[in-house]
Amino acid sequence: MIGNDIVDLALARFESNWKRPGYLDKIFTPDEQLLISTAANPDTMVWNLWSRKEAAYKIYNRATGIRGYFPLKLVCVYENANNGFVLCNGHTFYTKTKIVKDKIHTVAVTDIMDFKLVTELEPEIKIIKRKGIPFLIEDITNSLNPVSVSHHGRFSAFVGLKQ
Amino acid sequence: MNREETLVQLRNIVKPYINNEEAFENFTENTDFITDLNINSANLVDIILDVEDYFKIHIDNESMEKMVDVKSTLEIIETKLAKK
Repeated sequence: MIGNDIVDLALARFESNWKRPGYLDKIFTPDEQLLISTAANPDTMVWNLWSRKEAAYKIYNRATGIRGYFPLKLVCVYENANNGFVLCNGHTFYTKTKIVKDKIHTVAVTDIMDFKLVTELEPEIKIIKRKGIPFLIEDITNSLNPVSVSHHGRFSAFVGLKQ
Repeated sequence: MNREETLVQLRNIVKPYINNEEAFENFTENTDFITDLNINSANLVDIILDVEDYFKIHIDNESMEKMVDVKSTLEIIETKLAKK
Protein backbone atom coordinates (compact mmCIF):
# COMPACT_ATOMS: atom_id res chain seq x y z
CA MET A 1 0.00 0.00 0.00
CA ILE A 2 0.95 3.58 -0.58
CA GLY A 3 0.79 6.93 1.21
CA ASN A 4 2.42 10.27 0.57
CA ASP A 5 2.62 13.71 2.09
CA ILE A 6 3.98 16.99 0.86
CA VAL A 7 4.96 20.09 2.85
CA ASP A 8 5.57 23.55 1.41
CA LEU A 9 8.07 24.93 3.91
CA ALA A 10 7.20 28.54 3.07
CA LEU A 11 3.53 27.93 3.90
CA ALA A 12 4.38 25.83 6.96
CA ARG A 13 6.44 28.71 8.35
CA PHE A 14 3.50 31.03 7.78
CA GLU A 15 0.66 28.86 9.12
CA SER A 16 2.36 26.91 11.92
CA ASN A 17 4.42 28.03 14.87
CA TRP A 18 5.95 24.79 16.16
CA LYS A 19 7.83 26.78 18.83
CA ARG A 20 4.53 27.51 20.53
CA PRO A 21 4.60 26.06 24.11
CA GLY A 22 3.12 22.57 24.20
CA TYR A 23 3.06 22.14 20.42
CA LEU A 24 5.87 19.63 20.00
CA ASP A 25 4.77 17.61 23.06
CA LYS A 26 1.40 16.90 21.43
CA ILE A 27 2.81 15.46 18.22
CA PHE A 28 6.43 14.32 18.68
CA THR A 29 7.87 11.67 21.01
CA PRO A 30 10.85 12.58 23.25
CA ASP A 31 13.22 10.86 20.78
CA GLU A 32 11.75 12.83 17.87
CA GLN A 33 12.04 16.07 19.86
CA LEU A 34 15.69 15.28 20.48
CA LEU A 35 16.22 14.91 16.71
CA ILE A 36 14.59 18.33 16.26
CA SER A 37 16.52 20.13 19.00
CA THR A 38 19.87 18.75 17.81
CA ALA A 39 19.26 19.21 14.07
CA ALA A 40 21.30 21.69 12.04
CA ASN A 41 17.98 22.97 10.74
CA PRO A 42 15.22 22.28 13.30
CA ASP A 43 12.52 23.75 11.05
CA THR A 44 13.26 21.27 8.26
CA MET A 45 13.45 18.41 10.77
CA VAL A 46 9.99 19.23 12.18
CA TRP A 47 8.38 19.03 8.73
CA ASN A 48 10.50 16.10 7.59
CA LEU A 49 9.26 14.03 10.56
CA TRP A 50 5.72 15.36 10.21
CA SER A 51 5.49 14.40 6.52
CA ARG A 52 6.62 10.85 7.46
CA LYS A 53 3.88 10.56 10.07
CA GLU A 54 1.26 11.88 7.66
CA ALA A 55 2.33 9.58 4.80
CA ALA A 56 2.29 6.58 7.17
CA TYR A 57 -1.08 7.61 8.62
CA LYS A 58 -2.62 7.60 5.13
CA ILE A 59 -1.72 3.91 4.74
CA TYR A 60 -2.80 3.08 8.29
CA ASN A 61 -6.16 4.77 7.70
CA ARG A 62 -6.67 2.90 4.41
CA ALA A 63 -5.58 -0.46 5.84
CA THR A 64 -7.52 -0.36 9.10
CA GLY A 65 -10.36 2.11 8.42
CA ILE A 66 -9.36 3.82 11.67
CA ARG A 67 -9.57 7.59 11.52
CA GLY A 68 -8.24 9.87 14.23
CA TYR A 69 -5.55 12.25 15.38
CA PHE A 70 -2.80 10.28 17.09
CA PRO A 71 0.59 11.59 15.91
CA LEU A 72 2.34 10.27 19.04
CA LYS A 73 1.35 6.72 18.08
CA LEU A 74 3.08 7.16 14.72
CA VAL A 75 6.67 6.77 15.86
CA CYS A 76 9.43 7.82 13.45
CA VAL A 77 12.57 5.72 13.26
CA TYR A 78 14.96 8.13 11.59
CA GLU A 79 17.85 6.60 9.66
CA ASN A 80 18.86 9.76 7.80
CA ALA A 81 17.25 12.78 6.13
CA ASN A 82 15.90 10.58 3.32
CA ASN A 83 15.19 7.18 4.86
CA GLY A 84 13.49 5.58 7.80
CA PHE A 85 10.31 3.92 8.92
CA VAL A 86 7.27 4.69 11.02
CA LEU A 87 5.81 2.31 13.61
CA CYS A 88 2.12 2.39 14.54
CA ASN A 89 0.23 -0.15 16.65
CA GLY A 90 2.27 -3.10 15.36
CA HIS A 91 2.43 -1.89 11.74
CA THR A 92 5.64 -0.81 10.02
CA PHE A 93 5.65 1.75 7.21
CA TYR A 94 8.86 2.40 5.28
CA THR A 95 9.48 5.98 4.23
CA LYS A 96 11.55 7.82 1.65
CA THR A 97 11.78 11.59 1.92
CA LYS A 98 13.02 14.05 -0.69
CA ILE A 99 13.88 17.61 0.21
CA VAL A 100 14.28 20.07 -2.64
CA LYS A 101 14.45 23.74 -1.62
CA ASP A 102 11.08 24.45 0.06
CA LYS A 103 9.51 21.10 -0.82
CA ILE A 104 9.52 18.12 1.53
CA HIS A 105 7.91 15.02 0.03
CA THR A 106 7.61 11.68 1.80
CA VAL A 107 6.36 8.44 0.25
CA ALA A 108 5.46 5.55 2.56
CA VAL A 109 4.93 1.88 1.67
CA THR A 110 4.10 -1.27 3.64
CA ASP A 111 6.56 -3.54 1.78
CA ILE A 112 10.03 -2.09 1.25
CA MET A 113 10.14 -3.75 -2.21
CA ASP A 114 7.22 -1.55 -3.24
CA PHE A 115 9.51 1.49 -3.51
CA LYS A 116 10.45 0.10 -6.94
CA LEU A 117 6.79 0.29 -7.99
CA VAL A 118 6.10 3.83 -6.81
CA THR A 119 4.88 6.03 -9.62
CA GLU A 120 3.88 9.70 -9.72
CA LEU A 121 0.63 10.19 -11.59
CA GLU A 122 -0.64 13.12 -13.63
CA PRO A 123 -3.07 15.56 -11.98
CA GLU A 124 -5.63 14.75 -14.73
CA ILE A 125 -6.33 11.28 -13.33
CA LYS A 126 -9.88 10.44 -12.24
CA ILE A 127 -10.16 10.08 -8.48
CA ILE A 128 -13.03 8.85 -6.38
CA LYS A 129 -13.14 8.90 -2.59
CA ARG A 130 -14.62 6.10 -0.50
CA LYS A 131 -15.01 7.05 3.17
CA GLY A 132 -12.53 9.83 2.53
CA ILE A 133 -9.92 7.47 1.06
CA PRO A 134 -8.90 8.17 -2.56
CA PHE A 135 -8.89 5.65 -5.41
CA LEU A 136 -7.87 6.01 -9.03
CA ILE A 137 -10.47 4.98 -11.60
CA GLU A 138 -8.82 3.05 -14.45
CA ASP A 139 -9.95 4.36 -17.83
CA ILE A 140 -10.78 1.15 -19.67
CA THR A 141 -11.75 -1.30 -16.93
CA ASN A 142 -13.26 1.20 -14.49
CA SER A 143 -11.50 -0.73 -11.74
CA LEU A 144 -10.36 1.11 -8.58
CA ASN A 145 -6.75 1.27 -7.49
CA PRO A 146 -5.36 2.91 -4.36
CA VAL A 147 -3.85 6.33 -4.95
CA SER A 148 -2.44 8.78 -2.42
CA VAL A 149 -3.10 12.48 -2.88
CA SER A 150 -1.26 15.31 -1.18
CA HIS A 151 -1.48 19.12 -1.51
CA HIS A 152 0.19 21.87 0.42
CA GLY A 153 0.83 25.44 -0.70
CA ARG A 154 2.49 25.49 -4.11
CA PHE A 155 2.94 21.72 -4.31
CA SER A 156 0.83 18.65 -4.94
CA ALA A 157 1.47 14.98 -5.67
CA PHE A 158 -0.53 11.96 -6.80
CA VAL A 159 1.26 8.71 -6.08
CA GLY A 160 0.36 5.10 -6.86
CA LEU A 161 1.98 1.68 -7.23
CA LYS A 162 2.52 0.10 -10.66
CA GLN A 163 0.42 -3.04 -11.01
CA MET B 1 -22.57 26.48 29.79
CA ASN B 2 -24.85 24.84 27.25
CA ARG B 3 -23.88 23.12 24.04
CA GLU B 4 -24.88 26.01 21.78
CA GLU B 5 -22.60 28.41 23.67
CA THR B 6 -19.75 25.91 23.51
CA LEU B 7 -20.36 25.49 19.77
CA VAL B 8 -20.04 29.27 19.22
CA GLN B 9 -16.84 29.38 21.27
CA LEU B 10 -15.38 26.45 19.36
CA ARG B 11 -16.33 28.12 16.07
CA ASN B 12 -14.33 31.20 17.09
CA ILE B 13 -11.35 29.06 18.07
CA VAL B 14 -11.37 27.17 14.77
CA LYS B 15 -11.83 30.23 12.54
CA PRO B 16 -8.16 31.21 11.98
CA TYR B 17 -7.32 27.72 10.68
CA ILE B 18 -10.09 27.04 8.15
CA ASN B 19 -9.50 26.70 4.40
CA ASN B 20 -13.12 26.45 3.26
CA GLU B 21 -15.25 29.54 3.93
CA GLU B 22 -18.45 27.99 2.59
CA ALA B 23 -18.27 25.00 4.94
CA PHE B 24 -17.38 27.36 7.79
CA GLU B 25 -20.57 29.36 7.16
CA ASN B 26 -22.48 26.14 7.86
CA PHE B 27 -20.53 25.26 11.01
CA THR B 28 -22.59 22.68 12.93
CA GLU B 29 -22.05 19.67 15.17
CA ASN B 30 -21.70 17.59 12.01
CA THR B 31 -18.80 19.61 10.61
CA ASP B 32 -15.55 17.74 10.10
CA PHE B 33 -12.32 19.70 10.64
CA ILE B 34 -10.41 17.94 7.87
CA THR B 35 -12.90 16.88 5.21
CA ASP B 36 -15.24 19.91 5.51
CA LEU B 37 -13.09 22.81 6.71
CA ASN B 38 -9.90 21.55 4.97
CA ILE B 39 -7.88 22.36 8.06
CA ASN B 40 -4.25 21.35 7.74
CA SER B 41 -3.54 18.45 10.09
CA ALA B 42 -0.56 20.33 11.54
CA ASN B 43 -3.01 23.07 12.61
CA LEU B 44 -5.20 20.61 14.55
CA VAL B 45 -2.56 20.86 17.29
CA ASP B 46 -3.17 24.61 17.43
CA ILE B 47 -6.91 24.04 17.80
CA ILE B 48 -6.29 21.58 20.63
CA LEU B 49 -3.91 23.99 22.39
CA ASP B 50 -6.36 26.88 21.87
CA VAL B 51 -9.20 24.76 23.31
CA GLU B 52 -7.01 23.95 26.34
CA ASP B 53 -6.15 27.61 26.88
CA TYR B 54 -9.66 28.93 26.38
CA PHE B 55 -11.54 26.39 28.53
CA LYS B 56 -8.64 25.90 31.00
CA ILE B 57 -8.73 22.13 30.54
CA HIS B 58 -6.11 19.49 29.74
CA ILE B 59 -6.67 17.35 26.66
CA ASP B 60 -4.99 13.98 27.09
CA ASN B 61 -3.76 11.97 24.11
CA GLU B 62 -6.70 9.57 24.20
CA SER B 63 -9.16 12.47 23.89
CA MET B 64 -7.06 14.16 21.22
CA GLU B 65 -7.40 11.05 19.01
CA LYS B 66 -11.09 11.77 18.52
CA MET B 67 -10.81 15.49 17.85
CA VAL B 68 -11.25 15.41 14.08
CA ASP B 69 -14.79 16.78 14.07
CA VAL B 70 -16.95 19.29 15.95
CA LYS B 71 -19.20 16.76 17.67
CA SER B 72 -16.38 14.76 19.28
CA THR B 73 -14.61 17.96 20.28
CA LEU B 74 -17.73 19.34 21.99
CA GLU B 75 -18.19 16.06 23.87
CA ILE B 76 -14.59 16.14 25.08
CA ILE B 77 -14.85 19.79 26.19
CA GLU B 78 -18.07 19.03 28.09
CA THR B 79 -16.62 15.94 29.77
CA LYS B 80 -13.47 17.80 30.83
CA LEU B 81 -15.44 20.82 32.11
CA ALA B 82 -17.73 18.56 34.13
CA LYS B 83 -14.69 17.05 35.89
CA LYS B 84 -13.29 20.43 36.89
